[in-house]
Amino acid sequence: MRVLAGLRGMTGMIDRPALQEAIAALSSAMDGEAAALNAADAKLGDGDLGVTMQRGMRLVSQTADELPDDLGRALMMCAQAFTRSSGSSFGTLLATGLMAMAKELKGRESAGPAEISHLVGAARDSMAARGKSAVGGKTVLDTLDAVARATEGLRDAGSIAEAAVAAADKALDDYRDKPATTGRARIFAERSIGLDDPGMLAMTKVVHVLAGVAK
Amino acid sequence: MKKLLNDPHAYVEEMLAGLVAAHPDVYRLHGETGRVIARADPKRPGKVGIVSGGGSGHLPVFTGYVGTGLIDACAIGDVFASPSVEQMVDAIRAADAGAGVLRLYGNYGGDVMNFDMAGDLVEIEDDIAATTVLLADDVASAPPGEAEKRRGVAGMVYAFKIAGAKAEEGGDLETVTALAQRTADACRSIGAALGPCTVPQAGKPTFEIEDDEMEMGMGIHGEPGVWRGRLRSADEVASEMMDKLLEDMPLGRGERASVLVNSLGATPLEELYILYRVVSKRLMEAGVEIVMPLVGRYATSMEMTGVSFTLCKLDDEMERLLKAPCNCAFWRV
Repeated sequence: MRVLAGLRGMTGMIDRPALQEAIAALSSAMDGEAAALNAADAKLGDGDLGVTMQRGMRLVSQTADELPDDLGRALMMCAQAFTRSSGSSFGTLLATGLMAMAKELKGRESAGPAEISHLVGAARDSMAARGKSAVGGKTVLDTLDAVARATEGLRDAGSIAEAAVAAADKALDDYRDKPATTGRARIFAERSIGLDDPGMLAMTKVVHVLAGVAK
Repeated sequence: MKKLLNDPHAYVEEMLAGLVAAHPDVYRLHGETGRVIARADPKRPGKVGIVSGGGSGHLPVFTGYVGTGLIDACAIGDVFASPSVEQMVDAIRAADAGAGVLRLYGNYGGDVMNFDMAGDLVEIEDDIAATTVLLADDVASAPPGEAEKRRGVAGMVYAFKIAGAKAEEGGDLETVTALAQRTADACRSIGAALGPCTVPQAGKPTFEIEDDEMEMGMGIHGEPGVWRGRLRSADEVASEMMDKLLEDMPLGRGERASVLVNSLGATPLEELYILYRVVSKRLMEAGVEIVMPLVGRYATSMEMTGVSFTLCKLDDEMERLLKAPCNCAFWRV
């Protein structure tokens, strides 16, 4: 997802400076969102999702100055920073997604906005495999899937950002009244009806922040 | 919360510091994360390593079973929380003696994801071959048709013991892994809870239950069970638990099994032995030979009041390895 942020100005190219800008924006946004995400998570899980995101992004920002130009290696470092933050499965899932994008971008110093849909799709697929779950279960995968589909075929940074935000918001709305069938929240399937999935909520925030950076 | 602690956030670190101070001949802290316990004795090159991991709050599981003839290293998370990938990577490295490492732990989503990723990392960075066997022995957590969704509980004690003995006598990675899997497949457990425990960092009980109630089949972290109702007598509770285990894994005349009657923390040994009368009677009536029964605190959930039963069906090799010598601070054979 973070790669979305790489869309800068008119060119919308993803490169090292774009990545650093995105990391700074996400880190400060997660400081602000931590309490709300913790509260959403406490209704269905152990209430640490905000802390996971905040700690994870702080560790990623600490590596921001040392990131190499190779986007693959840079994203791999971001992924590893996330795995250091905690044992939270959501943190590991995000790291898995980042590693999948890192593999796609290995050896490259820039990428174009038209690649975003493919990269988000790669993250979605590897996270589904790691989490042994599928799209449709009211998890973060559904937000990623919506974004990957909505941005498919788009080439312009501005319209990609717009489509991504609209798709993430819509996924949140579409799944709110469905029961969770995978992940920890499935234990509370009935209770989850009417509540946003905390992971979807966190990823939607991320999409909003990255779209803001892109515009 | 009424607990003997200092800072809830230092709970795990202080526990590990005390564990290592009390048993320096068995355990040592390994690596930079401060959350890996490895065997104190030097590694034997060419021995298959066995690593486990999971949340704190279950002593002697998981950490306590690091020792001779058992497991080699363990990654320890916060109370009831998965260790991080980095801690698991450290633990795998600590267990590796050049012959590969078996990851042997309980079937919980977070632990599985993190151990899988840790395995990917050590395969790339260290060229360590890593296999996995998951314990999924809690019959109350999913029906037989979805056995792969079951949670891992006290059956892991048998897997540690039997696979650990095989690794100690020189079995290769494939053999040790296969034996661990055979043991995992031969274990069935069920728990019953009478009272909750409190996770120090959360500060409040994991679930609420009335004074005169119990919950059959409850998970070790307070996951919902099969039924909740009025507290029944020891014999009724034990009978129902044995019914559920034997229904899931029928044992016939002449078969052998070990059985673990385990306190979840607060339930005293006295009550475990009251329950064991029924366990042994039921198995003897079925013509099952009981091998090395275990009664005590082998896998706990802090101060939870309750009990779990585990049946482990044995073949010749498993029986021999169960009886082989082992040593850790909590169990010597």
